[in-house]
Amino acid sequence: MFQNHAPSSAEPPTDPPVTAGRESLPRLAKGQLHEVHAGGDGWASALAFSLAAIEADDRRPVLLLRVRKDKGRTRAMQMEPCGEGWAPLGLDPARLVIVDARDDAGLLRAGLDAARCAGPAAVLLESWGRLKEYDLVASRRLILAAEQSRIPIVILRGDAEPRASAAHTRWSVSSAPSTPLETRAPGAPALHVELQRRRGGPGGLHWRLEWNEEHGGFREELIEPAQPPLDHPPTLPGAVVSLDALRTREPLRRIA
Amino acid sequence: MPEAGGALVARDGQALRLAAIDAGTQGQGLTAGMTLADARSRCPDLVTAPHDPVADARELDRLANAMIAFTPLVAPDPLDGLLLDVTGCAHLFGGEEELVRRVLAAAGYTARHALAAHAAAARALARYGSGEDVRALPVAALELSEDKLSGLRRAGLTTLGDLASRPMAGLAARFGETAVMRLRAILGEAGSPITPLRPAEPIRLETRFPEPLARTDDALDVIEDLLAQAARIMEQRQLGGRRFLVLLQRSDNVRPRLAVETGQPVRDPAAVMRLLRERIDTLSDPLDPGYGFDAISLAVLTVEHLPSRQMGLESRKEENEDSVAALVDRLSVRLGEDRVSRLVPRDRHLPERAQGLVPAKQAPPVSWPKADERPTRPLLLLDPPQPVDVIAGVPDSPPQRFRWRGRLHDVRLAEGPERIGAEWWRRRGGHLPGGAGDTRDYYRIEDAEGRRYWIFRSGLFGETPDPRWYLHGLFP
Repeated sequence: MFQNHAPSSAEPPTDPPVTAGRESLPRLAKGQLHEVHAGGDGWASALAFSLAAIEADDRRPVLLLRVRKDKGRTRAMQMEPCGEGWAPLGLDPARLVIVDARDDAGLLRAGLDAARCAGPAAVLLESWGRLKEYDLVASRRLILAAEQSRIPIVILRGDAEPRASAAHTRWSVSSAPSTPLETRAPGAPALHVELQRRRGGPGGLHWRLEWNEEHGGFREELIEPAQPPLDHPPTLPGAVVSLDALRTREPLRRIA
Repeated sequence: MPEAGGALVARDGQALRLAAIDAGTQGQGLTAGMTLADARSRCPDLVTAPHDPVADARELDRLANAMIAFTPLVAPDPLDGLLLDVTGCAHLFGGEEELVRRVLAAAGYTARHALAAHAAAARALARYGSGEDVRALPVAALELSEDKLSGLRRAGLTTLGDLASRPMAGLAARFGETAVMRLRAILGEAGSPITPLRPAEPIRLETRFPEPLARTDDALDVIEDLLAQAARIMEQRQLGGRRFLVLLQRSDNVRPRLAVETGQPVRDPAAVMRLLRERIDTLSDPLDPGYGFDAISLAVLTVEHLPSRQMGLESRKEENEDSVAALVDRLSVRLGEDRVSRLVPRDRHLPERAQGLVPAKQAPPVSWPKADERPTRPLLLLDPPQPVDVIAGVPDSPPQRFRWRGRLHDVRLAEGPERIGAEWWRRRGGHLPGGAGDTRDYYRIEDAEGRRYWIFRSGLFGETPDPRWYLHGLFP
């Protein structure tokens, strides 16, 4: 999947090359930070997209970090990964390591530790709501760590307004109607993916992805920007701040 | 009818054979090595259990270690014996009889024992004899092969005394050097040394200071130094630590303890140091030197085998695995072990029970069974399943419309049902009608906006008066 756009691991972390107009879906590149926005209903889609689009070695562990309040104190609904459902999407559930942080700050801290570690194939952070600890500084820290360890970091943001951050790409993912089977049964997984922002490239591109049962991997199809789907407002607030992809200056410092 | 005895059964090729029998069976013509079918025909109510040689060896090892209480020199004599050198120990327990009584009580098994001046003699007496006279022992005590033993018996030599009175050279020529060596050992003419268990010396290190150490950073430096020394000791013994305990002794007799555990055996002082720093961070009050530390000691409480590793050019993969293990250790120390977990499959029927989360530190990754031709499972399971209001045809139709979190979803496509029965075999009275719990009918549905859900009806019409519907999973 997405072979046509996979930069080789020898390259320095660069933004995906920019070509105007029709282009294939860029992958979630190594050594970069990616934001994926989704609603609660589309959480499975967001996970499936992140795992499929991520540019990673396929034997090393994948870290899934999330927030769990103390057990027993809450009876809120939780979403647990279902191992048997991961395997058909090409991910061995044995590779999954799940880390439950106690709060958002702990999540970002654990995420930073994980990002500094070159061992995992990828680090996924599941967050819900505003995530006020996640700002320019926090995202920049994650990027610096990821550049060192050369692994992709994905921050999944559920039911959240986009915020200013240093992330390389920002995506919005939702389920898309599938191609029905003959028996009027739901077909293979289908997603609607929007690349909202991208550092050093045009945003606002839409794709429809459909799982290819025969070969594995998603088949992509660019949707003309003229017809965005109804449930997605064409523009969203919050800008990805333009920073150099290759760091040539001093690291970003907080200015009081 | 004789009282039923017990036996351990092991598979030998195609046949099941008795591996060992207990005292209750011995009078009934059963012997070890007999096939189970023969044994059953002689003794129909034989109670059998599978033979587990590994557990036997482990138990013998445990017993040998327990015998350290009586003498420092204990040697296991596989498969089922122990040799204790009690020279100079008996008087501590009030004489030899009392010592034997206590040893047998500590062992807790039916046991035979013998005391003799040499290990070989005591062993032969315990296994083959009854009295104290080694010359009265049968020739079987030499533990030669069956044809040599029958050769001895045919020559009219039945006891070791008969053999001892004959010239050794002739015996050696006819029955081999081993026979003579064993005979001389039993008779005490040759030495029969034992190789006792050597309990490993625990790794404990301590540094005492002439003046109390008043800075936490200095204390940490000392701990790192101790860890480096411990690493050298462990390197020599090819060990790695799994549990480390640091005990700091403050001048005012407060003794803060720092304990860390790792998922894999480690020696690297820096790795343990990182964990200790994490542990210090999670303490409710930071490590307060107060009036200063008088002494700092380090103990490696649990060790495991860890061979030295040569750093190779191609060790990248191992490094990666190591770094993930180190990360798991750190996060486990910071968040608690049960918060860093892996998914493992479980052999259960209900979807939410078919997997479990286990601490990643304790469990290595397990391989999941290959996805077979089963209907697909969702990517995420909702825990607990969410009750939804549903409009559906009766009795066996997929839902047409449902309401979840106040939103109405029109079902466009549906697949099912996949019927998953309750686990009646796990419930008391589950085999009785109505006692098993509700059968679930799962449907994979897609709503008008393209979202795919896994929804089930708990209970069949006719089984339950008013079956409820639940949302149980999300598909991508």
